[in-house]
Amino acid sequence: MAPNESPITLTTFPRLGTKDDYIQPYYPPSGPALRSQFVPDEIANPHIRFPTLAANIRARRGRKVELNVPVFKDKNTPSPFKDPTVNYDLRNWPEDDDVRNGAAKDDHVYMDAMAFGMGSCCLQITFQAKNIPEGRKLYDQLSPLGPILLALTAATPIYKGFLVDTDVRWNQISNAVDDRTREELGELPLKNDRWRIPKSRYASNSTYISQDPRLRKEYLDPGLIVDEDIKKRLMEDGMDELLATHFAHLFIRDPIVIFSEDLEELDLDKADHFENLQSTNWQHMRFKPPPPEKHDIGWRVEFRSMEIQMTDFENAAFAIFIVLVTRAILSFDLNFYIPIQRTTENMETAHARNAVLDRKFYFRRDPFSPSVRRNQHSPSNSNTSSAAPSVYSTPPPSPPLSPVESEYELMTIADIVNGSTDGSFPGLIPLVESYLNSVNVDVETRCSLARYLDFIRKRANGTLWTGAKWIREFVAKHPAYKQDSAVPEEICYDLVRAVDEMTVKEGADGSVGWELLRGRKD
Amino acid sequence: MKLILSTSNIMTAGGPSVIRQPTTYKSNVELVNSLRANFLAAQHATSRETGSSTNTANSNGRSSSWTKQEEDTLYIPAVDFSQGGLAEERPQYDITVKLFYLPGIPVSRRCAHTKQAIDLVLKELHVDSIDLLIVSFPGILFDAEDDSEEDVSSVDDGSEEPSDDFDSTIQTWRSLESLHEQGKISQLGVAEFGSERLARFLPHTKVKPSVDQINLKDCCVVPKSLILYAKQEKIELLTHNDCNDILPIGTTRELLGPGERGAGILASSPDASDGLQGDIETQWVVKYTAVVKDRGVVENKGYFALADVGSCVKPST
Repeated sequence: MAPNESPITLTTFPRLGTKDDYIQPYYPPSGPALRSQFVPDEIANPHIRFPTLAANIRARRGRKVELNVPVFKDKNTPSPFKDPTVNYDLRNWPEDDDVRNGAAKDDHVYMDAMAFGMGSCCLQITFQAKNIPEGRKLYDQLSPLGPILLALTAATPIYKGFLVDTDVRWNQISNAVDDRTREELGELPLKNDRWRIPKSRYASNSTYISQDPRLRKEYLDPGLIVDEDIKKRLMEDGMDELLATHFAHLFIRDPIVIFSEDLEELDLDKADHFENLQSTNWQHMRFKPPPPEKHDIGWRVEFRSMEIQMTDFENAAFAIFIVLVTRAILSFDLNFYIPIQRTTENMETAHARNAVLDRKFYFRRDPFSPSVRRNQHSPSNSNTSSAAPSVYSTPPPSPPLSPVESEYELMTIADIVNGSTDGSFPGLIPLVESYLNSVNVDVETRCSLARYLDFIRKRANGTLWTGAKWIREFVAKHPAYKQDSAVPEEICYDLVRAVDEMTVKEGADGSVGWELLRGRKD
Repeated sequence: MKLILSTSNIMTAGGPSVIRQPTTYKSNVELVNSLRANFLAAQHATSRETGSSTNTANSNGRSSSWTKQEEDTLYIPAVDFSQGGLAEERPQYDITVKLFYLPGIPVSRRCAHTKQAIDLVLKELHVDSIDLLIVSFPGILFDAEDDSEEDVSSVDDGSEEPSDDFDSTIQTWRSLESLHEQGKISQLGVAEFGSERLARFLPHTKVKPSVDQINLKDCCVVPKSLILYAKQEKIELLTHNDCNDILPIGTTRELLGPGERGAGILASSPDASDGLQGDIETQWVVKYTAVVKDRGVVENKGYFALADVGSCVKPST
């Protein structure tokens, strides 16, 4: 690296898509692959896969992708706010008509390329399960945590040089790769397409897949779109209904990139065609079968919602926290099931400015499973073999339990993470500590874990700021800020310098970022 | 008569035993809550099976069907040792057992107590050995501030016993070493030893403790002297959050007594007639955990406690 270069971790570059000289070497926007009026083709990975991916999404969709992020309305922000960076007179490509046809919405920051979403940086954790039942259980149990951890890690308050009214990246990525046609979106009557599809291929997940007696059918999405032919075929070949439904749901999407040489001969020892669809379904959880010919890799689950944090310490804290939560889930056999549509709603809620403190999220009231007397035998003990025949071809009929609606309620993130003050919900951190008190941990490890857990506890209760809040405050206090939502180059430069300093000093002794990492100046 | 109290596996016990109050996660709360929860669960299971709605003990307490008497031992609740056990092969697990010798109980009984406790755990988990036994001597408190433990004289419960002294610690250790020789225990450990006590203790041991478990409210303040000494002697310093006085007599009586929160086994006072009569003396408490090594999953965790009850609690030999 050159002396004037340093690696930093921001979810997005705050002025990506402006006319600044922020790429070296400079390339002008409006290339043939992205056809973006804001970013050049050269900003994307030059491997043929990526420009093709972007071009095919655009082709399938019939127009450019469209990202409209509500602008943060400050004292001097014009109202209505009309994104001043949009060029309505560009006529290089047919897609340049999009903005003349109303693609850019009032009171929103408008972006038009995959790079604005897929160019974001996030914190994903992949777990290897001991076998397929454990993988399926983790997939289900971590799913309701996705929106909670998204709000807790919020770090994306600026797009294309403007403060926006959301704190996280998620929906921008969702829109940046949304290849649905007008028919699939419900804007035109269905004529050529097969379905109305409620979500982008990048979205919160819509299936539960664990063969768990605690999975009530009321938790599943009644409006789930599946390819019934594929589901039937999978089940005929021995896949159980839950998993067949999951994959038949992923397979409603078209492949977006296919290499012609892969079509010459069908090689059933390879999983390329499967992976092609699997890995372009970007949901907040991903269930990953072992790759063929790699016998040391097992069933894996990816937890994908978290935002990258500006310092290594924060990133380590969240990575370790999620690992510990999975150990607590497996040890206590925790149950976080809620109807999956509530998780979709929580994902929207997590976007709100300062959602971590100001909003409430649907969460299960009682994470413990009913007592298992030993003569009933623990369900976790019956799952010892991955080859066990499936017990539940469909979720079992609901026992005479209380109504599903009474199982969950709206909770603050502070209560979910730290426990409710009345003790009715134990809290993720007390559960993790209860787990740690049951295993042998040496003093040095416990000491580092205590620092990480303390950080998360304080992020959840507001003692420490999210990255999003810290960035907002940095902009608000900057002398060059004019209370008009615009984040000019000068502020952006100082911000990046501050982040660089923060990654080294981590807020110690009142240095920059102390509100984010220490909570006090001394 | 001996009473054996047990929690069964508290990891899957359905929550009541797991700590719900974030501020009070101490092992005595865990122990008492999970014993109470296990008593209730057993009473409910029994009343469901027999269809009877009256499941409390009758006046002498002995014939309640959710407990089980074998010779002069009453299991509360009844334990079916043919059930349970571990899901995977034995080598997959790290089995740690912590035995709490209680204040006021004669040192001479410890050898027998240790065997009783270990045997119960082996039976419960269906294994023939454990990986680590940590023993907790009464009256030793670890103080991170100055790395000196103070001998706290046992609570005034009328006992004639002196507080735990060094000789009795050595004497107890001899019996642990013999269990180690028999292959029932792979490693031995102590709790709350500061570096001075360790230095005094080690020369007297044939089998060195491989673990020193310390209770730290803020585990980032471990005395440097202890860290260095433990490293030099290859003793691993582990953390715990166990309570020093894990099961006081009053708590045992309340747990087993006739009150609203009691199990209806024991009389409300030594000479009352609403349950088993006589004095009660808790002899020891043992905690066990079976952790799947590679994955860090706690599969089984529980407690046993043994109490003597009777008009005259005799010293056992």
